[in-house]
Amino acid sequence: MTVDPNAATQDFPSPEPARRPQASRYLVPALVAGAVALALGAYGKVHEPAGTAFNLAGFSSTGAVKSWLATGAMGFAVVQFVSALMVYGKLPGPSWAGVLHRWSGRVAFLAAVPVAVHCLYALGYQTYETRVLWHSLLGCFFFGAFSAKMLLLRSERLPGWLLPIVGGLVFAALTVVWLTSALWFFRTFGVTT
Amino acid sequence: MKRSGPLFTLLGGLLLALVMLSLNATTGTSPTASGGGEPPATKVSPSPEPEPTKPTASPGPSKSPPPPSAPANADYAGRTDDDSSAVAVSLRDGKAIAYFCDGRDQESWLKGDVKADGTMRLTSQQGGVLNGELKGNRISGTVDMGQQEYGFTADKALKPSGLYRATESVRGAEIDGGWIVLPDGQQVGIVKRDGTPSAAPRIDPETGAVTVDGQQLTARPVQP
Repeated sequence: MTVDPNAATQDFPSPEPARRPQASRYLVPALVAGAVALALGAYGKVHEPAGTAFNLAGFSSTGAVKSWLATGAMGFAVVQFVSALMVYGKLPGPSWAGVLHRWSGRVAFLAAVPVAVHCLYALGYQTYETRVLWHSLLGCFFFGAFSAKMLLLRSERLPGWLLPIVGGLVFAALTVVWLTSALWFFRTFGVTT
Repeated sequence: MKRSGPLFTLLGGLLLALVMLSLNATTGTSPTASGGGEPPATKVSPSPEPEPTKPTASPGPSKSPPPPSAPANADYAGRTDDDSSAVAVSLRDGKAIAYFCDGRDQESWLKGDVKADGTMRLTSQQGGVLNGELKGNRISGTVDMGQQEYGFTADKALKPSGLYRATESVRGAEIDGGWIVLPDGQQVGIVKRDGTPSAAPRIDPETGAVTVDGQQLTARPVQP
């Protein structure tokens, strides 16, 4: 894992004039993001919800497992937000803020994946309530936006505002997804394991 | 040189998703696929009290296939032909229970046997009669509610579609709720308070949770 010291300090617009190959730097992540979100939504819509999936030992229901995993992801997402501010120098932070940002992001993502798998496998893309509609929509959007964020990271000389915007979108999407699922679950059923 | 860390992150997530999907598929809900190992903790817990009379003396509870002549265990849900009411039928080991509900004030639970040819005649305590026939993935027939007869078709329904019931006493009143969750996610339900019917609040189809008069109840899948 090469640490790129430039990651945070690209606050200047690229000095070079825009050239043709640059477009692909934005186009590929954007297309992949759209494809990921659409594919998830289509799978959730077409695939017949199985209703159940395997549960983890020690939890009363899959809803509880998912809520706790999602809450864990949300917690790491908050770490993401704070560490991003540190990386960009908006907050005083340690030198390892970048490492913290990368690894908290990985953990958050990996915690969110099983939740999404269960959602799409067992429940599918549903629209029967406002809460459910937004959850389905933004859940798919989240993984698309996250893919875009990851792919954008591979490009150098991006406009300085781009990563914060995309990262902010990912964070905002996850927040709404969490509010419409885990928080709802805890408010409805109590904070149970 | 391009950074590959983010790519590994994405691939890791994809790999995890695929592993989980294949786990789900292999531990799936099909009753024959009980492959030892760790039992999935929640497998839509069957109705808590087993029905006392089981016509077939099958050796094992879950592994035994239904008797060769009986239609396969499954749930069916659909609407009446005039779209006014919903009908759901649950088949288990040659027995059937059905729920007819208009979502306002008319409902009926009907029980009976399913014949080998897929026909069934289910009756309720109030004299309602359901005559139906299972063909392929669909049960069609009629429900006679005394004052009116309804034609209906009910397609095979996968969880969380199906029929649910919750009975409990809340602050001295006997609450008896029945719900049909249709394949499109719509719900038709009635809650009776000491026998007086009214439209039911929505249940959460995944958990069966429902709040009636401020009290949290759990509606459970109904099986004959």
